[in-house]
Amino acid sequence: MRALRSHLLAWLVLLLCAAPLAAQSAEELHFCLHGEPKTFDPVLVDDEASENVRYLTGGVLIRLNRQTQALEPALATSWELSKDGRAITFHLRKGLYFSDGTPFTAEDVAFTMRRLLDPQTHSPTGDAFRSGEGSASVEAPTADRAVITFPAPVAGLERLFDQVAILSAHSPKKEMAVLGAYYVSDYKPGAYLVLRRNPNYWKRDSTGRPLPYIEVIRLDIQRNREIELMRFRRGELDLINRLDAEQFDHLRRENPAVTRNAGTGLDAEEFWFNQSPAAPLPDIKKEWFRTTEFRRAVSLAINREDLCRIVFLGYAKPAFGPVSPSNQFWFNPALPAPKYDPQGALRLLEQAGFRFQNGVLKDRAGNPVAFTLVTNSGNAVREKMAAMIQQDLSQIGIRMTVVTLDFPSLIERMTRTLDYDACLLGLVNTDLDPNSQMTVWLSSGENHQWNPNQKSPATPWEAEIDKLMREQASSLSEKQRKAKFDRVQQIVAEQQPFIYLVNKDVLTAVSPAVVGAAPAVLNPQAFWNAETLRLKPAPESGALR
Amino acid sequence: MTVWAFRIAQRVSLLVALSLLGALLGATLVRFAPGYGMDESELDPRLSQASREAIRREHRVNSSLLSYYGAYLASAARGDFGSSAWLHQPISGLLRERFPVTLRSVVLGVISAWAAASLLALAALFYRGWLLDLAGTLASGFLIALPVAVVAIFAVYLRVPVFVAIGAVIFPKVYSYLRNLLLQANDQPHVLAARARGVSRTRLLLWHVIPLAAGPVAALFGVSISMAFGAAIPIEALCDAPGLGQLAWLAALNRDLPLIMTLTLAVTLVTVAANSAAELLHERA
Amino acid sequence: MSAKKLLRAFSAALLCAVFASGVCAGILTHYSYSRQFREAPSAAPSAQHPLGTDHLGRDLLARLLYGTRVSLLLAPAAALLATLIAGLFGGIAGLWGGWMEKAILAAADLSLGLPLLFVLIALRALLPLDISPVISVVATFLTLGILGWPASLRVVWAAARRYRNSDFLLLARAGGCSPSRILLRHVMPNLLPVLLAQFWISIPLFILTEATLSMLGLGVMEPLPSWGTLLKGLEDLTAVRANPWMLSPLLVLIAVVISLQLILPAREEAL
Repeated sequence: MRALRSHLLAWLVLLLCAAPLAAQSAEELHFCLHGEPKTFDPVLVDDEASENVRYLTGGVLIRLNRQTQALEPALATSWELSKDGRAITFHLRKGLYFSDGTPFTAEDVAFTMRRLLDPQTHSPTGDAFRSGEGSASVEAPTADRAVITFPAPVAGLERLFDQVAILSAHSPKKEMAVLGAYYVSDYKPGAYLVLRRNPNYWKRDSTGRPLPYIEVIRLDIQRNREIELMRFRRGELDLINRLDAEQFDHLRRENPAVTRNAGTGLDAEEFWFNQSPAAPLPDIKKEWFRTTEFRRAVSLAINREDLCRIVFLGYAKPAFGPVSPSNQFWFNPALPAPKYDPQGALRLLEQAGFRFQNGVLKDRAGNPVAFTLVTNSGNAVREKMAAMIQQDLSQIGIRMTVVTLDFPSLIERMTRTLDYDACLLGLVNTDLDPNSQMTVWLSSGENHQWNPNQKSPATPWEAEIDKLMREQASSLSEKQRKAKFDRVQQIVAEQQPFIYLVNKDVLTAVSPAVVGAAPAVLNPQAFWNAETLRLKPAPESGALR
Repeated sequence: MTVWAFRIAQRVSLLVALSLLGALLGATLVRFAPGYGMDESELDPRLSQASREAIRREHRVNSSLLSYYGAYLASAARGDFGSSAWLHQPISGLLRERFPVTLRSVVLGVISAWAAASLLALAALFYRGWLLDLAGTLASGFLIALPVAVVAIFAVYLRVPVFVAIGAVIFPKVYSYLRNLLLQANDQPHVLAARARGVSRTRLLLWHVIPLAAGPVAALFGVSISMAFGAAIPIEALCDAPGLGQLAWLAALNRDLPLIMTLTLAVTLVTVAANSAAELLHERA
Repeated sequence: MSAKKLLRAFSAALLCAVFASGVCAGILTHYSYSRQFREAPSAAPSAQHPLGTDHLGRDLLARLLYGTRVSLLLAPAAALLATLIAGLFGGIAGLWGGWMEKAILAAADLSLGLPLLFVLIALRALLPLDISPVISVVATFLTLGILGWPASLRVVWAAARRYRNSDFLLLARAGGCSPSRILLRHVMPNLLPVLLAQFWISIPLFILTEATLSMLGLGVMEPLPSWGTLLKGLEDLTAVRANPWMLSPLLVLIAVVISLQLILPAREEAL
């Protein structure tokens, strides 16, 4: 019955499409964005939906290959870094045009970079370039050469350009004139976005055929993952960029050919104790949370294997450090493997003066150990993780209460009132390079969640992290930087300011109609190679002839 | 005639006053509830101190809430409701785009729920069949026990339009009130007396039972419209229908002060207008 | 009409059974609602777990029974509270009229339009994070009861208004009845159909809303179960497909709601 219906439908589609156009030009890649793109201005992009649109539409000087994690020339055919690491010179491709026909020159690069680096723009992409005091200078000595000089060396400078989509300095369409594979042709807020093939896109395949192959990309704005999956099953969508473990598992049993596991992802789920002296918490709690043995014991008492097996159905790996093993260069393989050892946890706690009596853990003064874990609401996976951690900790006599809060309230507690004991979140790693996580690791940083905005480092190990992070940022040798950051990972594993739990697998689904998909762990996982994707003609077309 | 004009004028001024008060109260709630002015992007580690400050400044209402509200009203009177703090789009444009979508689903939803509910309730009364009554009870019992989100997901699954989901959510409520009101009216001494005199069932229903329940039923109609708007919020958000309900949902999640203020204004306006209309109609009848 | 009587008796028995099983949850199951059988997550029904287990391996029957305790004891109480408030305000507005009527109606209309979500968010912030589950649950249902009146107020008011100038009230007034006595003894019985409808609707509504409130950190918190949290699991269609026994709380709730409707006095015997 279903087969008959889809057959009829395919006929109908063919009849409708074949009439005015050649069959292949009507092809359309259809998938979902999980939120409203907040902006089309590539300089101001800060949310995932806008970032995905920017990836598909923006032309960049250097592209980070999502699969090989290597840099590839794009609008720039080549580039050179100066010896002192402060200046970068780009040699641009000649004879290119924006999607609206405006010619592309070094002036556009200069315009984009000036706007991006202007402190008044408050661009998250631009902020990643900041180095020393003073401002950067941008010059375009010839039409195909651009030179950018920074006040101090910027660590990992080249890969930052992967996020910089070049704007036109002269086009009347402003940011809607693009150099990428697609341009935004239609947008209905809250409903959908239509991207159309950019006829002026520079790239060609090995046979000289202009890219991209697919004429139209239709992005539906769909927040509900269940509905997205339902529509994928029906064949209305061609791919799902990120599935949760349960959905993936179910789909795999139904139709293994459509599921693609790209491997362990970059993002980690972690929780941390609030160690801030400014927090409105009772002193006894502050004392527990600042005790290294306490944090290490909690970490030891959590059964990460069970989390991976039950919450993530095996599609995750236990995590122990800030860098995922899939971050090939920066991961420190010398870190100890995470282990589950409640007895060891109790021994550690006893060393620190805690006592385990009648199933209750008490501190030196006899207070029973209890705390509240906050996390954001509406995230079923985190709620499950919290419930499992709750049971694990009850084994060592700790009573943990779980409270879910809406995101703004949670952010207010994390950054303003500091009124929470512990928090479970997954902080997103957008970049492979640890330099982008500077404000997380520096004790003066705002994103130093366990104790933000410190005037001077509260502990010797935080002081050491500060020093190492500053040193790696000013070093030009990748090897030295790696050595410094390996040490940072070591300290974090010893001190457990963040208790890392799991690294999730990147789970995607791709319809058999899409040819050439190769999901990767880096964003945008399933469609990073959108320009070389093809759609298989419907099998019925043979019958039509 | 002038009495009517006066009454309508009185109603309209009440309507305006209430809506303005509603918008002010809505704004107060948003402004003073925790989480106001928080932006997820503050967690982005790439941002510099200055950019963070800029984000915070953008969310801060510099003046007091009352003068902020005054400025808002002044520009609203000129038809400019400001722009959304989160979508960075003019609110009047958003409303113009989305209001028809929601209005259509709400109107169709209310009509279908009322049609189904009154058909079932009247049929049960007319034929005095307990099986019909049981059918109504079963249907409404089933629908009211379903979480709204499940109704919405089913609507997408069955590919039915949003108004069906809205209708399904408000049907049990309408049915329950309607059934009880009609049964009570049917029970009144003079209806019993008429029945004893041998008045036909149709005549009994049309001349005695329905007029008796007319007041509360008219009120129920007004209320069902605000119920439908309430149901539209989660349903549109889940079905990703680009209507006011979805907008309200996102505005609340993002603590979008000007947008929530305008939406409260609009919803209060519709609620009060629907209720007043129901009242006027009944008084006139 | 014996079939009808039979149905009514059956409904009453079912309600009693569900209530009793909630109260005696500890006797009916020897599992704790929070114990995770980690070797058997999302298991199908078996001899050990008659309804199977949830995604964390917790016994679903135990969760359903203990959830009954929370939801079925508190939701009717909250529904009653909401109904009484609506009856009181609606009755006053309908009978006395004047500025009181205008004020009450305006307040009801206003609160229908206001984003009350933020009241709840503020409430969450006022309470400390580590309140005991009992306080959190009771506070939640109390809030629901207090905020639940405006929806039916207009209908109650319209019903009460019919009696403003009715003969029997004139008689009662002339007879020196106090206003409160008029309201309670003479008008309330006539408002009963509307109030019963409101009561009936509110019970499942509050049971479901409680689960929504747990998203704001109010209501029932892990690992305590409630029908609301169990029903919220139904939004996860993938999980429901994998384990259709997850639907059992929905079936119980539907049965309870329908039984309630069937046994609430509707007086159609008079026909």
